[in-house]
Formats: sequence, C-alpha cells, structure tokens
Amino acid sequence: MQLQDKYRIALLSAYALALHGFESLFPTPVPWLRLGLANIITLTALVLYGIRVAITVTLIRVILSSLFTGTFLGPAFILSLGGGVTSTLAMGIVLSITPRLFSIIGLSLIGALFHNIAQLILAYLLFIQRIEAILLISPIIIFLGSVTGTVNGIVSDLLIKNLKKGDKKIQNVNK
Amino acid sequence: MSLNSVLKSTTIADKILLALLILVSLSGIVFVKELLPEAKRVMIEVNGHPVYILPKDKDRTVSVEGPEGVTVIEIKDQRVRVTESPCHNKLCIRQGWIESGAIVCIPNRVVVTISNHEDESNKIVDAITG
Amino acid sequence: MIKITENRKPKIEINKFHYIIHSVHYLLFLTAYCLLVFFLYSCTSHKEKIYRKSKIVMDTFVSITAVSDSKAEAEKAIDAAFYEIERLEKLTNFFSENSELNQINRNAGISEVKISTDILNILDKALFVSKNTDAEFDVTIGPVSALYDFYKNIKPEEIEIKEKLPLVNYKDLIINKKKSTAFLRKKGMLIDLGGIAKGYAADKAEETLEKNGIRSGLVSIAGDIKAFGLKPDKRPWQIGIRNPRAEGKEDDVMTIVELSDMAISTSGDYQRFFIFNGKRYHHLLSPKTGYPAGRCQGVSVIAKEGVSADAFATGVFILGHEKGMKVLEKMGFEGLIVDNQGKVYTTQGIRGKVEFKQRS
Repeated sequence: MQLQDKYRIALLSAYALALHGFESLFPTPVPWLRLGLANIITLTALVLYGIRVAITVTLIRVILSSLFTGTFLGPAFILSLGGGVTSTLAMGIVLSITPRLFSIIGLSLIGALFHNIAQLILAYLLFIQRIEAILLISPIIIFLGSVTGTVNGIVSDLLIKNLKKGDKKIQNVNK
Repeated sequence: MSLNSVLKSTTIADKILLALLILVSLSGIVFVKELLPEAKRVMIEVNGHPVYILPKDKDRTVSVEGPEGVTVIEIKDQRVRVTESPCHNKLCIRQGWIESGAIVCIPNRVVVTISNHEDESNKIVDAITG
Repeated sequence: MIKITENRKPKIEINKFHYIIHSVHYLLFLTAYCLLVFFLYSCTSHKEKIYRKSKIVMDTFVSITAVSDSKAEAEKAIDAAFYEIERLEKLTNFFSENSELNQINRNAGISEVKISTDILNILDKALFVSKNTDAEFDVTIGPVSALYDFYKNIKPEEIEIKEKLPLVNYKDLIINKKKSTAFLRKKGMLIDLGGIAKGYAADKAEETLEKNGIRSGLVSIAGDIKAFGLKPDKRPWQIGIRNPRAEGKEDDVMTIVELSDMAISTSGDYQRFFIFNGKRYHHLLSPKTGYPAGRCQGVSVIAKEGVSADAFATGVFILGHEKGMKVLEKMGFEGLIVDNQGKVYTTQGIRGKVEFKQRS
C-alpha cells in the first residue's frame, strides 16, 4: 500500500498547500485570526489514512509553503512547524488512545488547542522572552483558536463523511 | 441536512471541551488585564535586549532598528503604539494604542512592553560611571 | 478516489525496489539534516562575543570588557590590560612607600627626582588641567587630603588645614620634560594623583587591549571609563551615569550616554564621604579652602582621553556649574553637571542623546 499512500500524500499535500495559499490571500482584520484551513486536510488525512500520512502531509505543507513564500527557516516557519507537528501528533495520539471519546469536531478542537499552545510556547522561548506579553495574548488566541477549530472541525466532519460515502460507492461498484 | 448530521456526531466530550475552553479563555481575557500591575514604564526590546526604558507619561517618538528595518514607536497621552514597521503583516501596527500589556513584532524582533521595569536599566548599560 | 491496480510482479522484487527507495530517502533526509545543523552551527560559532573580567586594582573595582571572536585572544588581552593597570598602580600609589610618586614626595624641598614617562605624562596633564580650571584642580593637594580619612571618618580642624594650605600650589611643582624629572619646591609638599591616575590607567589599559588585537571594548576603573569600538550588534557602548542621590536600585542610573572611542569620568560627592553634624564631608577638596567643594553633587565629563576626563571632572566639580560649563565648552568636552540643588546641566552635544529617567 506504499504507493497508494504516496499518491494520497501528494494529493493531500497539494490541497493543503492550495488552501494555505488561498487563506493567506485574505486580509485579516483581526490580528492573530488565522483560519487554519489546511488543518482540515491534516485532520482528514489523519482519520482516513493514519498518522504517518497526516504527519507527512503537514511537514510537506509547512516546508513547501515556507519555501514558496521565502520564509524558510524564518520565525513564521518555526512557529508553523512547531504548531503543525504538535497539533497533528496530539490529534493522532488522542485518536489512537480513545478513538470514540471525541468526534471529528472534538479532534479538530484539540488540534487547534495544541497548535496554539505550541506556538505560544515557541514564541516565548525563541522570540519574546517577556512572559507578560505572552500571558496577555494567550486567552485571546485560545479563544479564537477554539472558534476556528470548531468550524474547521465541522468542515472536516462533512468532508470525511463525503469521502467515506464516495469510498463505499467505489467498493460497491467493485463488488 | 448536513449540519444536523454533524451535530449528531458530536460527543459529550466535545461539548465539555469546547465549553471549558471558551470559559477559560474568556475569563482569561478579563483577568489578565486586571492582574498586570499598574504600569509606569515602556520598555522596548530588540532581539531580547532592552534598548529603551522610558516613562509612560512623557510624549515622545523613538525608533529602533531590528533585523528587518526600523520600527517606530510612539508614546502619547499615556498610551503606546507602533507607527511604522518593516514587517510583512503589520500586525504590530494594527494593534493600535495600548495602555498596558505589550505589542510584539516577531519578524523585526521588537517587543514593546508596558510594565514597571524597575531594575532593568542594568540590562541596557554596559557600565556605570559615578 | 484514485483506483490503484496491483502489480503482478513477484513480491520479493517489489520489496527490493522499495528498500532502495527508502534508503535513498533516508540518506537524503540525513544529508539535509546535517546541512541544516552545520548551517545553524556555523552561523553562531564565528560571532563576536563580549568577554568581561573584573578585579580589585588601584583600591577599586576594575572591569575590563573585550569584544572578540576568540575566547583565548580576549582573555590574553584582558589579562595584559590588568597587568598594565597594576604596573601603573605601583607607580602612582599614594599609600605605598615605594611608589615613584612617594619618591617625589619624599624629596620635596630637597631635590628633583627622575621619573618614568608615565608619571611625566600624568604630571604634565595635571598641570595643564590646573591652568585651565582656575587652579581648582591641583594634584599638590596631598598635604590637605592626607588630613581626611574617609574610612575612619576623620576630618581635620580648621587650624590643621590652615597650616597645610600654603603647601598646596601647582606652580610649585616643577617638571622638566627634557630631563624627565619632577621637583616639589617646598618641604612638606605632597602630590596626590587620586583625581587623575585612574583616567590615565584606563587609557593605558585600552591601549594594551588594542595592542593585543582587540578592536572594541570597555575599561572601567571605578567610574572612569574608556570605551572604544562598537559592540557586536554594531551599537556604541551604553554608559549609565549614576544619580548622585540615588535611593535604591530603581533610580540608580539617571541617564544613559552612548560612547564609542571616548572616555567618561565622574566626580561625585557621594563616592567617598561621611556626614558629620549634618554636613557632608567628601573627598573632592578645594585646593583654595581645603574643604570639600560644595557647588555640585556630581560632574561627568566626556573627553577623548581618560586622563583628561578624570582630571577635568574633578576640576569642574570644584569650580561649580557656571565656571565649569565654560571650561567644558572651552575644552570642547561634553559633560553633565548636577549642581548642589540637584539641577542638571548638560553641554550641547549631550542634550539630544541622553535619556533622563524619571526621578520620583
């Protein structure tokens, strides 16, 4: 199944990159409000194809998008990488330990939460050594993250359900 | 149709988590503003090194140089804002005026904090004469 | 979704193929990782860093800072600089019988004494400063300054001062540059280099650092500071000027000046003093009255040489802010004067660059 995985990874990464690029076209009226649309892809990949695929897609998305925008190894890249990997791992671990406890939406929420926490910690350690600044923006970031995480979760849920239906159709045809 | 099916698949754990997060973050937003001590000084750091420690009650404009260029900070009427910055997304400028807390520009490594900053002048000076 | 049709080839060959692909992948990843690590490491290892060492020399706290990309080079230079300061201490020590200074003092009224180049330079500069500060700076103040003890809080009686005051006169110090000699005309005269030696030592220490390959650094002998070059972040050295009436750590530094290739020296009534009967007795004595000068709380002078900054800081302190400011302007120095009421006066050049911290 290696080859099939590779196709999926490539396709999903393409989608993730496209979404990321699409999202960055939007002007953000409120600072720190990033929709994180690419996380929909990550979550879908995780649920349907497993953690290996999900992590690979995340890494490819983060690295390639930073290469494209010329911010490779820059601060944005580090934060993106840290947040993305942490959130994917967190979702993956929850999914494997307690698969039924949270729904897709809950997983998305967890992903968003860990994504933000990781970024706050990284920002504190590497860039802004003032704890007051971090403490001040944490609640807002977590709040916004919860909102976007929920919305992304809903979209992911619909997407996954649709894909599963499509899969079933194909399997039925094969039979 | 779709929304209904989505809502059906949400679990109790989901709802608890969401409620918890909203609660904590909202109360955090309220509390953190209260918890921060009354701030009298504005400290501007570049790359982690303090460059200016200025009193908040004296109007002035200063500029600091970071790796990406010059960031200009204005202190007026006991408030602080960033007026110019070489960063890409200009989030620091868009934050507008603050009376407490901080404004941060990560690309240019500039951090502006309002706090008491008591013995921090020792971080700026390399030696003291007198 | 995309449908994949399975290959009909035997499984063993597929495994080999995948194995090779995987190895190549791992190799590429490893190479990329190594390159990344190497890249990051090389970015940090050749950076110039600040090295600092501190010791007690010349009866005071001395701190020498050197910027270098090699720890060995920095340490060697700093040690050499300390050695130089210690050498100068032996020459100029008022309290050491064998110092060259006391050789001159012992022969006051008797004969001229052969002196080293360093002492000659110091005395020459001292006389120059005396002439330019209306004689308020005077290294022949020795007999009077010896009457005070700031450790035991001893101050002289008026009659003792009156007795010694006639011995204080820089015009009675004769130096001969050709012969390299110094002579104190009257018996009982004493030279005290307390107001100038540290500045000179800072200059010499800085020279030593440069001789040892350091292009940027800071020599701080008590409050006599010589700064040269720029810090690794290409900014000048940030020197804090102490608040003469600081009450704690918070208002310790009242302002910050930026220095590069300049010296700064501060004379203050809070450096060595004691309070008796509500009056402050400090170590900056007026050569004309024999008593501590009372016109200023603190004076900081910025000059090209430490020896000038040190001596003029003392002189301007005793002169007071009106005459003192004129002296600074005449000499082309920047400076800051805090008068006895706490009011701050600065020369033109400093005005824009200095941040006064709010005094509560």
